Amino acid sequence: MKTIYTDNNATTAVAPEVYEAMIPYLTANYFNPSSMYEPARATADALTDARKTIAGHLGVADPKQILLTSCASESNNTAIFGAAKANPNRRHVITTAVEHPAVLEVCKDLARSGFRVTFLPVDTDGNLSVEDFIRALDADTLLVTIMHANNETGVVFPIEQLSRLTKETDPSIVFHTDATQSVGKLPIDLNGNFRHVDLLSFSGHKLHAPKGIGALYMKRGTPCRPLLIGGHQEGGRRAGTENVPYIIALAKAVELATEHIEDEQTRIRALRDKLEQRLEDVIPHVQINGKGAQRLPNTSNISCHFIEGEGMLFELSQNGICASSGSACTSGSLEPSHVLIALNVPFTAVHGSIRFSFSRYNTDEDVDRIVEVFPEIVANLRKLSPYWDNETNSPRPEADGLVWRTQ
Amino acid sequence: MAWQYSEKTKQLFMDAVHGKPGSHLGEIEDPDGVGEHGSIACGDAMQFAFRVKRHATDPTKDVITEAKYLTFGCTSAIAASEALCAIIDQGEYTPIEALKISNQDIVEFLEGLPSQKIHCSVMGAEALEAAVFNWAQRRGVDLENLGVDLHTDEQDEGRIVCKCFSISEPYLRRKIKELNLRTIPDITAAVKAGGACMSCHHVPGGLQDLLDETWGTDKERPQGEPVMVTSIGGLSTPQPARRESELSPYQFGKKIEHAMDEYVRPMLQKDGGDLEIIDIKEMLIYCKLAGACAGCAGANQTLKMMVEQTLKEMVDERVRVVAV
Repeated sequence: MKTIYTDNNATTAVAPEVYEAMIPYLTANYFNPSSMYEPARATADALTDARKTIAGHLGVADPKQILLTSCASESNNTAIFGAAKANPNRRHVITTAVEHPAVLEVCKDLARSGFRVTFLPVDTDGNLSVEDFIRALDADTLLVTIMHANNETGVVFPIEQLSRLTKETDPSIVFHTDATQSVGKLPIDLNGNFRHVDLLSFSGHKLHAPKGIGALYMKRGTPCRPLLIGGHQEGGRRAGTENVPYIIALAKAVELATEHIEDEQTRIRALRDKLEQRLEDVIPHVQINGKGAQRLPNTSNISCHFIEGEGMLFELSQNGICASSGSACTSGSLEPSHVLIALNVPFTAVHGSIRFSFSRYNTDEDVDRIVEVFPEIVANLRKLSPYWDNETNSPRPEADGLVWRTQ
Repeated sequence: MAWQYSEKTKQLFMDAVHGKPGSHLGEIEDPDGVGEHGSIACGDAMQFAFRVKRHATDPTKDVITEAKYLTFGCTSAIAASEALCAIIDQGEYTPIEALKISNQDIVEFLEGLPSQKIHCSVMGAEALEAAVFNWAQRRGVDLENLGVDLHTDEQDEGRIVCKCFSISEPYLRRKIKELNLRTIPDITAAVKAGGACMSCHHVPGGLQDLLDETWGTDKERPQGEPVMVTSIGGLSTPQPARRESELSPYQFGKKIEHAMDEYVRPMLQKDGGDLEIIDIKEMLIYCKLAGACAGCAGANQTLKMMVEQTLKEMVDERVRVVAV
């Protein structure tokens, strides 16, 4: 059975071009780029070029402002802990309730050690209130850390506006954004629309590079202490021998992402929209989470009321379709997605959420296949649900009262 | 986290979902006993019903002939429901005998369950109990007299310990003993309590206290998890942090508003526009253009130049305007 991979916000397939590009640095050019002898020079040159490529595609003039890390989680930890340590006179941080755990948990940790942290709420579409944001800024604020695009719903926050407002309020407040889901999918120019951003995190494995490589853009002059010390690499801001093959891979992946960004905005958006349209047409009591907000073109978070997401995933998986869910049963904890809870998704639907996320390797046939099997999966599970009436194919009257908000 | 279900669990789930003959999905019209456990808010819920062959004279000798369920839940919750009905099919149980079917029997029938899914089997046993209680009421059987204690009111009457899954103290105390739960992770795996916000773990009267009171404190205490100190959602109160100025923040705000009303708004309104003050922080005035001005390409310029200049002249030369 053919595998249909629609879980690209979790990780992506390594692009063949990326694989080709990195192989020589796993084999013949294995040298440490810091070494003095002649053979290491080619490795060091390749590293310099790769950094230049990554910087160039993000609009960064000086490649030294791109730090290479092991993953976006490391980049986020470095940015948040580093900014907090470098600004000892201030004790307030602003973030949102829907961040990835690699930001949320770091902020909670700061709160445990005495920082004041504002977790901005979102509305039922997943949007922030700019007014709330402005009111949260104060003279004690040292850092704003707000994601660009949400990994679960794809909802995009107005980073251009938020970073500008931050800097117009007080240029010494550090502005960090976790752009892990948006690099390669949305236009980002750190010399243009994102010029007020000081720190920006992302990782390779969301854009067809391997797992184990991340990056942190650090604007020159940003106060930020290193997390890893004990080496001169990355200008002393991140110790550790450079992961040359993976850095080469990241550069190639970023280059390819720029080539495909048009495809992302047109073809992939069309695939996503078609999927949502078809499923909404045939499945009763379904809601698209974040639909009223600006969203990533590749992400669809669909809630089917009155059934549980894990059973849907299992059935999809039996059909070769890979997706993910915000249901409690798949989270490892017993609590469903904090993002959907923040959106006030009713609990009849929060447990029944499925996320499909596409990449450039998905095709129209993939969507057709999902549309072919998914409605039946939902119908079968609803037959088992104590909240569903099969005669009328609608919720039982007593259960209908549980949906206190539908689209 | 990939699935770690036994083949049996997967098979029972697939049979149920695809309505294989012999599977037990569905309802019984006019059942002799029906019970529920769980709720949609907690992520799983089960309705269990059975029919009996009624004994002519002694209702305690009724024999269960058919069992069915409806379940909202994950793969293992559905498989556990199927397992419970299958076990009942295999023997000729009276309702009271059926009470002996424990969550452990369900786990064994499923050829094992991952530890974090044990609560699915507990749900089956609980729904069965509730159905038997219902049967007893219908048939006029006095369970208490027969020495059967079904604790059906403990959930309503006791103090709620785990607020996330609304689990009461009497229920927890009983389950700790019945299922030999020794640690907080044991409790969470079996009945979900403490599995979400974790704030009930180490508070007075919390899960650890219940464990200590049941088993004593002389055993080695498991390492406690850190207690959360923050809550998500809602803004923290911003600290007042204004620099010295002759006016109080209130007076300053009033003066700004006055200047806006007198000089700025009339100018904007001539062109069908308006302006909204979002916030004032010291000398920073956050404004949003409304009406015809909003969306105008020169909007920022308008605010910066015209509004800021006016306010500088009328209120304080240190004023800065931020266009939202």
